[in-house]
Amino acid sequence: MNKRTFKLAGVAILASTLALAGCGARTDAGTGGATGTKVAKIGVIVPLSGGLSAMGLGIKNSVDLAIKQANASNAIPGWKLELAAEDDAATPDVGKNAATKLASDDAVIGVVGTLNSSVAQVVTPVLSSANIVQVSPANTNPSLTKGADLTNPKRPYANYFRVCTTDAVQGPFAAQYLLGAGIKKVATIHDKKSYGQGLVENFAAAFKAGGGEVVAAETINPDDSDFSAVISKVKAAGPDAVYYGGEYPQAGPLSKQMKAAGLKVALMGGDGIFDANFIKLGGTAGDLATSVGAPVETLDSAKAFVEAYKAAGFAEGYSAYGAYGYDAANSIIAALKTSLASAADAKSARSATVTAISAVSFEGATGKVGFDEFGDAVSRVLTVYKVTDGEWKAEKTGELK
Amino acid sequence: MRAIIPDALKLQLRYPARAVGILGALAMAAAVFMPWAYGPGALDNMTLWASPSPLQLFFGVLALLVLALLAIPLVGKPKLGRWAHILAWNTSAKTSAISALAMAGVAAIAIAIELGGVVNLDPGAWVALVGGVLAVTATLFLPDSPPPSLERVKSAKWLQITGIALGMAAVLFGAAYGLGLSDAGAFLTFAAFLVGLVLILRQFGVFDWLSIAAANNRQVLVLSAFTVAFAFPFTQDGSDATMSVAAQVLIFAATALGLNIVVGLVGLLDLGYIAFLGAGAFTAAVLSESAFATIDFHPPFVITVLISGAVASLLGLVIGAPTLRVSGDYLAIVTLAFGEIFRITMNNLDGNDGPNLTHGSNGIPGIPDLSLLGFDFGQPHVILGIDIGRFANYYWLMLLVMGLIIVVFTNLNHSRIGRGWVAIREDELAAEAMGVNTFALKLLAFSGGAFLAGVAGAVKAHYDVSVTPDQYVFLESAFLLAAVVLGGMGTVAGVLIGATILKLLPEKLRFFSDYRLLLFGLLMVVMMRFRPEGIVADERRQLEFHDDSEELADEVEEELIAHHAHLNPDREVFEL
Amino acid sequence: MELFFQQLINGLSLGALYALIAVGYTVVYGIVQLINFAHGEIFMIGAFGAFATWTVMGRPADWPATTALLVLLPLMMIGGMVAAIAVAVATERFAYRPLRGAPRLAPLISAIGVSVFLQELIRLFFGTNPFIPSSSWPVRIPGWPDAKSAVPFPSVTGISGEIISIGGVTIQMPAVFTLGALAICTVFLWYFVNRTKTGRAMVATSQDPDTARLMGINVDRVIVSAFAVGAALAAIAGVAHGLRYGNIDFRMGFLAGLKAFTAAVLGGIGNINGAVVGGLVLGVAEAMATTFIPGQFGSSAWKDVWAFVLLIMVLVFRPQGLLGAKVVDRA
Repeated sequence: MNKRTFKLAGVAILASTLALAGCGARTDAGTGGATGTKVAKIGVIVPLSGGLSAMGLGIKNSVDLAIKQANASNAIPGWKLELAAEDDAATPDVGKNAATKLASDDAVIGVVGTLNSSVAQVVTPVLSSANIVQVSPANTNPSLTKGADLTNPKRPYANYFRVCTTDAVQGPFAAQYLLGAGIKKVATIHDKKSYGQGLVENFAAAFKAGGGEVVAAETINPDDSDFSAVISKVKAAGPDAVYYGGEYPQAGPLSKQMKAAGLKVALMGGDGIFDANFIKLGGTAGDLATSVGAPVETLDSAKAFVEAYKAAGFAEGYSAYGAYGYDAANSIIAALKTSLASAADAKSARSATVTAISAVSFEGATGKVGFDEFGDAVSRVLTVYKVTDGEWKAEKTGELK
Repeated sequence: MRAIIPDALKLQLRYPARAVGILGALAMAAAVFMPWAYGPGALDNMTLWASPSPLQLFFGVLALLVLALLAIPLVGKPKLGRWAHILAWNTSAKTSAISALAMAGVAAIAIAIELGGVVNLDPGAWVALVGGVLAVTATLFLPDSPPPSLERVKSAKWLQITGIALGMAAVLFGAAYGLGLSDAGAFLTFAAFLVGLVLILRQFGVFDWLSIAAANNRQVLVLSAFTVAFAFPFTQDGSDATMSVAAQVLIFAATALGLNIVVGLVGLLDLGYIAFLGAGAFTAAVLSESAFATIDFHPPFVITVLISGAVASLLGLVIGAPTLRVSGDYLAIVTLAFGEIFRITMNNLDGNDGPNLTHGSNGIPGIPDLSLLGFDFGQPHVILGIDIGRFANYYWLMLLVMGLIIVVFTNLNHSRIGRGWVAIREDELAAEAMGVNTFALKLLAFSGGAFLAGVAGAVKAHYDVSVTPDQYVFLESAFLLAAVVLGGMGTVAGVLIGATILKLLPEKLRFFSDYRLLLFGLLMVVMMRFRPEGIVADERRQLEFHDDSEELADEVEEELIAHHAHLNPDREVFEL
Repeated sequence: MELFFQQLINGLSLGALYALIAVGYTVVYGIVQLINFAHGEIFMIGAFGAFATWTVMGRPADWPATTALLVLLPLMMIGGMVAAIAVAVATERFAYRPLRGAPRLAPLISAIGVSVFLQELIRLFFGTNPFIPSSSWPVRIPGWPDAKSAVPFPSVTGISGEIISIGGVTIQMPAVFTLGALAICTVFLWYFVNRTKTGRAMVATSQDPDTARLMGINVDRVIVSAFAVGAALAAIAGVAHGLRYGNIDFRMGFLAGLKAFTAAVLGGIGNINGAVVGGLVLGVAEAMATTFIPGQFGSSAWKDVWAFVLLIMVLVFRPQGLLGAKVVDRA
């Protein structure tokens, strides 16, 4: 140790203190204003850019709608709700930054999101450590609520809830429908993503239990466009229908290529293919899909949502998950009615909100909204839709027993 | 890009031009105390009279620089003495004026966009813009100065050390302030200020002086850089949002540095580098205490890191051994194919299409936080009265990993192995003829780079909590490559800058995110066309890319002479 | 056995697609020793060019087979080729030509940039008029789909959805189209290379660019024509892809380009016949792997992995490719 090192240390400390002192900014006079109403924010973490942004924007707008309606009706006296939307670009890294940003904002009390299960896996721990309630409109991976071992479920995060049903409900419902239609031999194909794989596994188990036979089980890659090899193998097994676990960008072309290759049987899937684009990309008459809830035309609460959404004049449509986003936001708002009633500020009411939301129950845009002990949706009403004349038409509505 | 104004005219007009320039600078200085925007929503509230916002004060710095550079020479050459040569007064004044105008322009555009129209610009902004235009026009008419000679000033050791420390403090302050700006317009304005300031300082010759100071005080530089980086979390007052970005930047930069060995030193284009990061991450995840881990063996993290690195470098050997014998172009495509193989394989090892190792596209979530020597990385700690959260803990850990990588990198670079690598890069046949074992050296670089990525991946797995195959796609490899190319192949500082720019800008400029990739592609093409050596150029590399440019060769030689002049007191130097 | 012939047909038609794209890699590499990494994107541009032509023609649907085959299909192919050639030539001019003589890393990195740029260009601006300032910039042209997700490719009567059955083996008409296109293109290429002035200049340049220049060959023009020939074939492949799979998207060039490059290396890069053979072999190998590899690794999820493993095997055991590379490595 010589004199130089001493000097250096001195200089370094001096410099650091200078920099630290310089960090203070002008006090901002802009927050709130002491008008008596307090502000609580509902965050949204969905993809607002990239390939899935259409769905993300639909969710964001629907949450915005729910918040505006709550403010207009003064649902929580003394409080004003605000929207804090963050983009996760459908990638975990970006999603985590978004969650961290929301968690460090003291006014945030609940978050609607995410769209992708893989993003939820990194977002939930961040929000959980800040005690912020998270309601997902679209995650279908069962392990998010039931932990790694599904046979011995253990809830990993107490702050995580979802309003959509998991694969464990849709798959068996489809199996019951096909068996009821007299189909005994089915081939399954899935895209290896958690959603598709879960659907197919649950479908196959229920289908076999009901006396059917799975004659071929195949997989494709989510970014494939050539399915000829798979179709040839499936065709050789001679199924009466094909059950596909995955989303419409692959399902549409798959259906088209199936028929072109001479495999002229119906393709059935979950709500991931229940989209007008499925038909545009090649879905043909007779193809089937299950979707959660009763058809929009038969449900008053759903009709009200669609009308309000149109009236609000958003640039984008509400897309596949808009109604779920609306229900997710409303479940948080319902919980806030109890938790914010006597709270001094949003941050201190966070854990009360998590407790309050488990007791929430109301008729939402997708049917009955409520949560079981794992945070999963209680609604088990589903509808089978069929492609008829280039459109999805409701075929059968029922409840999974 | 030289202005087409005859030198004779410049000489004639030098006094009026100087006067107009000073007028412009005064106007800009006055604008600091005027409101720029109609509403408080734009930038950092520039609506007040005589109460400048931080950004306005930064602008004031530029205005004062212009003023000083134009006004001080008025005292006359004799009084300035040596200083007349040490600084390039007129040229620096021109750069300062242009920077100030650019900053005012960015601020004005940002205000107009954020508040919805040019109407929202208050007088201050107009005064600043007009002043800027005046100053720029005037300085264009000033005669060019001879190049600055600051680097030839022989300065005492304490002065050099203070210089380094001040430089580091400025970096710390800039990073802390810039990261804290959440408004995109404010961030861009600040970025414009920083770029301007860097250009001006370069014009002063400050960087040449600093690089000599740094060369003479290597340890001081390294130590102070590390101190500054270490102190960074304390400037954030426990803000998780910033620290999370900072930790990600470090992980990205560490991986890019590993890639820099392969691409920058040896010249092997690896387009699947992200797979090695992924291999490390998956190995660490599978061996972690996560409930989803598929191997029932949970060694302590220190061992896991080594295993992760070893697995990655083993993959490097497997992929490198067959392909490193053939031409470099094949390597690029084979590594690209390997990246795809890795991603698809991780997707397939889900118990359905292969043994269950990775849970397929679900990946392995729920990876617990690290706990080393009783220090739990998941818990916030209070140090010196400041909350140091989870992200800051990982930031420090990554800083250590990064330090390690930099030490390996620089030592290798200056060793026999490193010289062998450079020889391979420049002419493989010649290197082989001179007895360099090219195949072994290339393989060493390839697997060594993979090892570093594996280590970074192991930390990333714990930091990210979850590891999924879709985090490791080709685009990520392209981004890593871009960080290396943008910053400067073969340099440490360049890659750090490149990585910071590529991770930070998208985070700060969210409204732009849809066009991010488009610009990214364009940037790669433009960089290769106009500055293939990157922002911070490695001298040897620069010559390689511009081997036909005599001028540059002379310049480099000149620099070398200047550098040696400093170590060699025979040459005439200024005394300070 | 039936399954074997079915997969053989599947593989051959897939391979024909790879072969059409692979020719572009091989021709360019043979002359300038550059892996035109963006070539997959040229293939994608060709498909979108054909789609745009169809849209401009007023989206004709249900034309009778004769007019569809004799008017619509050729027009779509020409539209695709024009777009692909224009982009390929522009890429060469602005991204590669200035870098001739630079270290080999530079054009390769530039090519990656071009590749990302072209993908994003289609994703963001297909069917828009970006020159109208607006709050929802860029402004969409009414009636044009956006390319942010897959776009349904027009069906051509007589090809789309038609099948021929031969004893239990179904052959789809788009596959016949692809194989036929490959056959015609191979003949055309043979004629072009061996019998035309430009083609022979190309061969001369690939053998020795400096001497070729001394002999009065305009090397710049030869390089441009190499890019153009590759682009034209890639555009035909783009149309074939659209007909075969029924839709196109901005990402389709990445994997197809990678496979086609593998095919080019397999056949011996720089060797035009090699590219054709390599493409067909790769396609068949891929199709066979999904059927005849037993157990979990025979699932079609692994087919891309097998294709790339084949690439690595070739580099280890026969780096000059099946038919032998025509260029020696000058590195």
